[in-house]
Amino acid sequence: MQATQTQESFITDLLRKVFSAAGLTILLTLVIAGATVFIAGPFVLVNAIVTGGMWALMAAGLSLVFGVMNIVNFAHGEFFMVGTLVAYFVFTPLSAHLKTNPSPLLSAVAPFLGVLAAALVGALLGAVIEKTVFLQLRKRTKEQWIMNSFLLTVGLSVIIINGVQILWGTNFKGITRYWEIPPFDILGVTVSVDRAVVFFLAMATMLLFWYFLRNTGTGRAIRAVSQDETGARMVGIDMNRIQVLTMALSSALAALAGASLLFMFPSYPTVGLKPLYIAWYVVILVGMGNVAGALVGGFIVALLQTMTSYFIGPGWEDVIPTAFVMLILLVKPSGLFGSEVKGIHER
Amino acid sequence: MTQSTKTMPSESIPATLEVPPESRLQYINRMLGVSRLGLVLVILLAALPFIPPFNREDLLRWMIGATLIAAQAIAFDFTTGYINVVNFGFAAFLGVGAYTSALLAVELGVSPWIGIFAGVVPAAVLGFFTGVLTLRLRGIFAALMSWFVGLALLGIARNWVDLTRGPLGLSAPRFLETSSNRPYFYIIFAMMIVTYVVLRWITRSHIGLAFKALGQNIDAARASGINPTFYRVLNFTVQCAFAGWLGGFYAHYYGILTPQVMATSHTVEVLAIAYVGGRGSIWGGAFVAFPFIFFFEWLRSTLTDLPGLHLVLYGVLLILVMIFYPGGVAQLYELLKDLVSRFRPDPVSTTKVTK
Repeated sequence: MQATQTQESFITDLLRKVFSAAGLTILLTLVIAGATVFIAGPFVLVNAIVTGGMWALMAAGLSLVFGVMNIVNFAHGEFFMVGTLVAYFVFTPLSAHLKTNPSPLLSAVAPFLGVLAAALVGALLGAVIEKTVFLQLRKRTKEQWIMNSFLLTVGLSVIIINGVQILWGTNFKGITRYWEIPPFDILGVTVSVDRAVVFFLAMATMLLFWYFLRNTGTGRAIRAVSQDETGARMVGIDMNRIQVLTMALSSALAALAGASLLFMFPSYPTVGLKPLYIAWYVVILVGMGNVAGALVGGFIVALLQTMTSYFIGPGWEDVIPTAFVMLILLVKPSGLFGSEVKGIHER
Repeated sequence: MTQSTKTMPSESIPATLEVPPESRLQYINRMLGVSRLGLVLVILLAALPFIPPFNREDLLRWMIGATLIAAQAIAFDFTTGYINVVNFGFAAFLGVGAYTSALLAVELGVSPWIGIFAGVVPAAVLGFFTGVLTLRLRGIFAALMSWFVGLALLGIARNWVDLTRGPLGLSAPRFLETSSNRPYFYIIFAMMIVTYVVLRWITRSHIGLAFKALGQNIDAARASGINPTFYRVLNFTVQCAFAGWLGGFYAHYYGILTPQVMATSHTVEVLAIAYVGGRGSIWGGAFVAFPFIFFFEWLRSTLTDLPGLHLVLYGVLLILVMIFYPGGVAQLYELLKDLVSRFRPDPVSTTKVTK
């Protein structure tokens, strides 16, 4: 009797989950992905899977900064751009050096050095920006913080883009591949090593990030601040430290994504715009402050883009996801996985 | 104490309250809010194309650019400064007006003079729908929604190559056969004045009061009987209509139209000018546009080896204003006016003294 009851409640619970907006969207995405594979062949999915993981990283950083600091970051894409730039300037000399004196170990590690350097520079840049810009605004602004900080990030974005343009010019700085290893086949699809590694890098980073937020003291403090700032202050959490850390972490994630995707997105000053709005699509799709949801959202948006560009034509891959996200924003403003609790964004 | 408060009203207040009926001219002046200084500046601006350094063709081009930005900043502030929603897709609506007018001229041979008014219609319709789309959203989410609308419109303009010729650029006929820039300056000058007069009139009427109430607290405004749906959609429609109209000028002045006109960076430019000018002032952005655009154009033409430096300064300035003086130039002006009036004899107190 008892067993059947729990089983029943489990089934109804599952059914309710499946037929919620989130469940239906995931189901629909899976069906569409399956249909795409059936019609076009699985190679279409490779790019979606590779980029999806990185969009998830971008979105996670974006939603973290919004959750903790209430900043709608328009300059998030610029950290992506800085990441591509740093990775280029670290990796290119290294690979030139490797051409003259080859070393199997270094050639395996060099791309990771580039990505790591990008993440560090991104974190540093984020921390500096928090200290020099956001902290100053926070001291002075009491009302309309969200709008003012948003405009501040607009200014930051303009400065970073054009500063990079002045210092390093507008030419494309890209590489063809990170690893000089021939591609391999999975299920009849040729996948380059770069793509495979980038996918696993994204998953590992996401997992690490999730673990950090969940199980470490600092991560808990960050989540506490995003849930209730006053309460967090009351229990003695050092707000300044958390804010610097959050900004650094978010920028590092964006820079890491940029560095990892250097072979797909050659570095130039405005390369960050597209990742920026894709990250926004993901955040709006899944709702603010939802790290696990960002992963799902990243894949949904990436799949939507690859499918649009395959079935409708390249160039349209921005228009269709935009329309889709606008629809989500209309029907469920708190996002697919968001709760109906009124957040600060509705104030 | 109590005696004085009792006797004061019966004696002096009726005398001071006897306001002479407002004449029609005074009413117009109150609605438009043109101060003596403002009037002098406008007349100076109108005369500028004949004053020596500014009658050069390159400087006239700068002036036309500045006036166009000034008019856009006025329209931008109409939404940002009043209902407190940033229309982040502003440039896209300008582009819609520009493309409509240019396509009408190219495909159907419609005169640009009619075309720029025809461009208003699709821009206003799209503005209407954007207003409807952003209705349920507040603050920053409405800004994001309008940004997405702008991105979608940009994507359409870029990809519908059969119609817009995409990134290749659509060449539109110009208003006039002349190669002189002076007539164009007077066209855009008149358009700026019309934009100012209409939008200022609306914001000074009871409609503007409703806008302000909605911008400050949407729930309180609703509770006091203001219909948020009507006023927010109205605001968006009017703003986008003006954006489309100004877009028509853009198309028929520059003569070449690429989807880049709808890009976010263009919105950011207008936004920076409007914010440095001062939110909710309508005139602030227009006032700031002239010195700024001149300074930036001068910077661009002297430091040609550093492209983008003027944009870096844009960013720095926007940040500095947001941090240290969010009221912008309009607030600075109010402060100065206050200081001046402190040293001047107060008309009310002098009447009291003579009594």
